[in-house]
Amino acid sequence: MTEEQKNATEQVANPTEAGRQAPIHLCDGRGLKRLLRYGLAWLERHQEAINALNVYPVPDGDTGTNMLLTMQSAYAEIESSPQDEVGIIAQQVAHGALMGARGNSGVILSQIFRGFGRALEGVAAFTTIQLSAALREAAATAYKGVIKPVEGTILTVAREAAEASVIAAASSDDLRYVLEQVVREARASVMRTPSLLPVLAEAGVVDAGGQGLLIILEGMLRYTKGEPVDIDSDYVRAVDLHALHPESEEGYGYDIQFIIHGEGLDVEAIRQTIDSMGDCALVVGDSSAIKVHVHSPEPGTPINFGASQGSLSRVIVENMQEQYQGFILSKAQQPLSPEEPLASIGTVVVAPGPGLAQVFESLGASAVVAGGQTMNPSTEDLLRAVEQAPSDQVIILPNNKNIIMAAEQAAELANKQVRVVRTNTVPQGIAALLALNYQADLESNSHIMSEAASAIQTAEITTAVRSVQINGVQVEEGEVIGLVNGKLEAKGDSPEEVTLAALQKMQAADSEIITIYYGESVAADTAQELAATIERVFPEQEVEVVDGGQPHYYYILSAE
Amino acid sequence: MEETRLGSIEVLPKAIASLASQAVLGCYGVVGMVSKDLARGLAEILQPSSHRRGVDVRIQGDRIVIDLYVVIEYGTRIATVAQNIQSVVRYTIEKALGVPAVEVNIHVQDLRVSAD
Repeated sequence: MTEEQKNATEQVANPTEAGRQAPIHLCDGRGLKRLLRYGLAWLERHQEAINALNVYPVPDGDTGTNMLLTMQSAYAEIESSPQDEVGIIAQQVAHGALMGARGNSGVILSQIFRGFGRALEGVAAFTTIQLSAALREAAATAYKGVIKPVEGTILTVAREAAEASVIAAASSDDLRYVLEQVVREARASVMRTPSLLPVLAEAGVVDAGGQGLLIILEGMLRYTKGEPVDIDSDYVRAVDLHALHPESEEGYGYDIQFIIHGEGLDVEAIRQTIDSMGDCALVVGDSSAIKVHVHSPEPGTPINFGASQGSLSRVIVENMQEQYQGFILSKAQQPLSPEEPLASIGTVVVAPGPGLAQVFESLGASAVVAGGQTMNPSTEDLLRAVEQAPSDQVIILPNNKNIIMAAEQAAELANKQVRVVRTNTVPQGIAALLALNYQADLESNSHIMSEAASAIQTAEITTAVRSVQINGVQVEEGEVIGLVNGKLEAKGDSPEEVTLAALQKMQAADSEIITIYYGESVAADTAQELAATIERVFPEQEVEVVDGGQPHYYYILSAE
Repeated sequence: MEETRLGSIEVLPKAIASLASQAVLGCYGVVGMVSKDLARGLAEILQPSSHRRGVDVRIQGDRIVIDLYVVIEYGTRIATVAQNIQSVVRYTIEKALGVPAVEVNIHVQDLRVSAD
């Protein structure tokens, strides 16, 4: 990195001042190293999201992981390299990527680096013109590795991004500007992939490999702008590993995953056996294929059992103690940013009860405002949360019909760009938050999240506060009632009885997962018993139990 | 190969070979296929129309065994490319035919060095 570049980075205390940053004319070996480190860290952060996109060429959900492993191998090669010449560093990167290439996307990525390195041979520090030539060579080399290049993949993104760099480099000698244009075109190119590759359009996703390349480039751009790429420290605190696995006193044990293939597999029997072998057991599937996930101190036991039931595939065993230490270590080694991360889109969420607040926090909500039935937050409460969110664009999830108006007022008053996704219930809010796509803009997210929310069936089980007749149901004060998607649909003497009736009305039998959030007035044991009953009535569905801690509602249920 | 109430459905090895060769051609790192019969001196990269010659399909009981004779781009990680071919071909055949047991063997016959 040049002295100029260092200064540029230091000057930028506030990323909103990016427009005023001094231009960067040259990038030497150390500069490239830092660029790659940021690309790697940013990829690490998006690994799972990229995995989720993976439908082509084989929908096995490992593109993000494969690209990350390839990048890690590439970066390991240069991490302690004393070289200062960018051409040598680029070739070391290519070598590391080649040696560690994993999966289809990893092989392509290694070819991209190979071309990039070859073009920079003998170059001490590259200019914008040399960068664009190297990116072009990278794309050209990638295309040579296949007989029938498939468009709408990482190949297309690499080529179009390189073309954008050529145009940008012709008019500017500022590397930051050129990278900006490269990322902009890469993003547009990724968005176009579904129109080029029908299998992506059918699955409603963009290409995973292309997205991975975009993320790497984006991480590099963030470095030049002085923007952080490390994991949100608040988020890490919310996902306290100890809190998640309180039973594993003897250590973290192993995280075991595999798929059992066979005929006439008994999901329920397998689930019970796996359940007895460890904690955090998740057993899902049908009679021909079952996915198993369990934490156990003895990895052999569940695997042997699985093999006795059918043939195994995708067996993954990870040492959680190691993972945890690696995690702590990487946190200690990478003080990449003291600042709070600037998420592109922040979310302000209203949640009744501490358990639900925690659920939202663990899903990455920027701020949780306490509130719900009979304890509506004021417009001012919401406005304050919006102003404090670490981003210029904010989405509010009111999660209650009665709060939507306050949320919309807050949106109007705020000095930021704010959208309200009109969620009526907590489960709708959770579905909406899960659908948030950090790559998409505010407007598209508002649509995506509304759609996700509307796909959720919700029931709320509470006590009638007055006698009334609605929907032909006569309710006396003090009776337990069930509201399905806000409409009175069931009543009875006990919350559990009404829950079952409400689930029937929700047509939960057609769903895949039933989630129960139990309120502050319900004991954990009672909720577990109810879950067991629901599992008997709906044997095909996954049932999850969450301590919501909400007042007024015995249970909030969702079916999706 | 399969009996249904309406009659039998038969998929010939030749059809499976076409499916497999199409899948291989889209595999990253594969730059050609060659006839397995190297003794005849046909080790040159085949023209696209004759790619099926680098594919050998056998039916063993209810298993489909596919042997692929490929040329791989020099400078890629060969083991990974071969694994990718196996996974893509298996997936393509299983998806098209609904037959689960597919064995895919990769024979790397040559490497091609692309001009710089």
